[in-house]
Amino acid sequence: MSVQRQEIESIREGFAQSGYICNTHIATSIFLAQQLQKPILVEGPPGVGKTELAKATAEFLSLPLIRLQCYEGVDESKALYEWKYGKQLLYTQVLKEKLGDLMQGAEGLTESIARLHDFDDTFFSEDFLEPRPLLKALWEENGSVLLIDEIDKSDDEFEAFLLELLSDYQISIPELGTIKARSAPIVFLTSNNSREIGDALKRRCLHLYIPFPESELEQKIIAARVPEIDEGLRKQLVAFVQGLRGEDLKKHPAVSETIDWARTLMLLHANELDADLVRNTLNVLLKFQDDIEGIDGELNALVSKARGA
Amino acid sequence: MTQMLGNFIRALRASDVRVSISESIDAGRTAELVGFEDREVLKSALSQVLAKTDEDKYAFNGVFDRYFTFEKVESPAANDSTAQGESETTDDIPSEETTQADGPSEAESQGQGGQPGSGGGAGGQSEKADDATAQEAQNAQGSQDLLDLLERGDAVALQQALAEAGQNARIDRIRLFTQRGMYVRRIMEDMGLEGLELEIERASEENENRADHIRGLRDGLREQVRDYVERQLDLYTANAGQQLREEVLSRVRLTNVDRRDMRLMQGLVRKMAKRLVALNSRRKKKDIRGALNFRKTIRQNIAFDGLMFDIHWKQKKIDRPKLVAICDVSGSVSSYAHFLLMFLYSLQEVLPKVRAFAFSGELGEVTDLFKTQDLETAIGETLKIYGSGSTDYGRAFEEIERTVLDDIDHRTTVIVLGDGRSNNADPRADILKVVHARAKRVLWLNPEPKSMWGTGDSEMKSLSAYCDSAATCTSLKDLERVVSDILRKGQ
Repeated sequence: MSVQRQEIESIREGFAQSGYICNTHIATSIFLAQQLQKPILVEGPPGVGKTELAKATAEFLSLPLIRLQCYEGVDESKALYEWKYGKQLLYTQVLKEKLGDLMQGAEGLTESIARLHDFDDTFFSEDFLEPRPLLKALWEENGSVLLIDEIDKSDDEFEAFLLELLSDYQISIPELGTIKARSAPIVFLTSNNSREIGDALKRRCLHLYIPFPESELEQKIIAARVPEIDEGLRKQLVAFVQGLRGEDLKKHPAVSETIDWARTLMLLHANELDADLVRNTLNVLLKFQDDIEGIDGELNALVSKARGA
Repeated sequence: MTQMLGNFIRALRASDVRVSISESIDAGRTAELVGFEDREVLKSALSQVLAKTDEDKYAFNGVFDRYFTFEKVESPAANDSTAQGESETTDDIPSEETTQADGPSEAESQGQGGQPGSGGGAGGQSEKADDATAQEAQNAQGSQDLLDLLERGDAVALQQALAEAGQNARIDRIRLFTQRGMYVRRIMEDMGLEGLELEIERASEENENRADHIRGLRDGLREQVRDYVERQLDLYTANAGQQLREEVLSRVRLTNVDRRDMRLMQGLVRKMAKRLVALNSRRKKKDIRGALNFRKTIRQNIAFDGLMFDIHWKQKKIDRPKLVAICDVSGSVSSYAHFLLMFLYSLQEVLPKVRAFAFSGELGEVTDLFKTQDLETAIGETLKIYGSGSTDYGRAFEEIERTVLDDIDHRTTVIVLGDGRSNNADPRADILKVVHARAKRVLWLNPEPKSMWGTGDSEMKSLSAYCDSAATCTSLKDLERVVSDILRKGQ
């Protein structure tokens, strides 16, 4: 096993200890992001643990997690910084009062202006800057994990605005100039593909696609998240969910739903799957009434198949 | 190593994966970082750097598997024995020793990724030699090695030699399947075919069985080389044919497009519509209503002691052109109309306010049809319902006046698609005049060349007077130019 392979494996194990079970592919991506200092764009169906990955990374590296939730209309005043207007206005008031003292003894307009210039101007300075998530991440001394969640929900402008941050880990504030990261953060961007992400952004990122996990991996995840469940039920439950994903549904159950379902079954003290139990708890797995009704006919077959697994 | 990665990226691009320069640099850094030893890690790492959409990932997996095919044979033991074998055969010829030592060790350092860099090897050596006799001797030596290689049946060494010869023959430049023969020959020669033939000749004088044996080996080698060239062709030209056809299609006259190219054309048209809209729909106008832009207002009013004197608003209006398209679908322009409808369909997918009308005799609105049906059905239906009559522009314009005139305002662009041949009926240019006065712009796209306008029953002379622009539009390129014009000036 090569050195790199070992490092990647150690990342994977580190994740496993904090309860995030993943495959080598995902671990490789964390390894690359650290080494190449590049942001990771994580895509995949909802509920496969895109956001969890960022959280797990933060825990694994024991760095603070700074999260920016994107939505339509998010702009730099909400993502990057805002001036403290109230304080700025007060400052001008105070300044006006002090002006008399400052100007005392000044002869003529030129000297007054010169004195004014000498006076320390803090109107646009970091004192009056209210940092938002992005700026906070750049200001962290020892690095941080920055999670820009659901970037596909934001507008194109915001995407363009992120480019400077993503490629150089710096941002420009017109009044102050360029602010560089004190220590480069590890950046995660997540997307549900509700909109195609621009090429410019993709080019600057590593691209990680997380699909629904395979049966074996999903079992491990359930074992880590719901440890009290016994092995037989776990196998049946995962097999059933995997079977469901093969069906024609509006929304396929994701890992988070499998975990919820496992917890539900534990609450009901179930020892094994049967059709009635599944029918009564199916609303935990499927979120559309159409899906629940549509799958009803095949429920028995799916359950018996899962029990056979 | 760089060469190998560069070729790999070339192969990726050939399979329609868009790889930018900065991404190739990243790929280089990544490869350096993870090394070539662990194929699985390499694949996983490179796929994250180079392939960034679903289709790209799919293509990437295919290309990667085809490109890095020799991984299986890599094992230190095999490598050692190869090196051992090579040095044994070259022991008695000192001049060759350095080159031969170079070959395997270099390949080894590259993890046998399949394409050892150029340099070394018998072929390279023979080129460098300027003395004819020396060259001959070395060729003979090369063939001796080749023969030896073939007789030993060492697949690893043979593949290496093959890849090396392929490199020397610039196999990565292969473009057309007709070049296969040429590349097979070049590679064979590079590997020392000439010497092998000599060997056969010599052997046939002494021992016919031996000669037959060598001939068999030679033919086997040719098979392998052919296989190799096939694979490389596949690798480097996976998508070239498609690209070429798309390029040609966009220039060919719309009426001359083959039925079997329709599907391809549809994709092209859709791509074009998307691009045009993406380019042009993003202009915004400032509005004077809505939420206060607090930051900007404060900023602007500091000069007034913080009094809100000069107020700024957040709202911006996205100004998207309204489009009314009237399409002639009568028999004379039907093949052309097919594409215009296709284009209209794609536009209506991306622009919110498109109203589409079709007519030959009778005029009717097809907007709903376009919105609810898929492309094939919508176009088929349109042609079925409206395509049978004989053209009458007068009646069509009367219908327009009755139904949509109220909807045409200073933001509307009206496009008429047709040949302007009204079968000697009054074209009602006066209605077009009214439309022209109300609309932002009126455009006429005519499949006939300008010289034909006004001949016979063509009414283009009188109609084009009320158009802001009337243009000939026969190929996709024309169409693209005209429509891009609409969107740009439409703001």
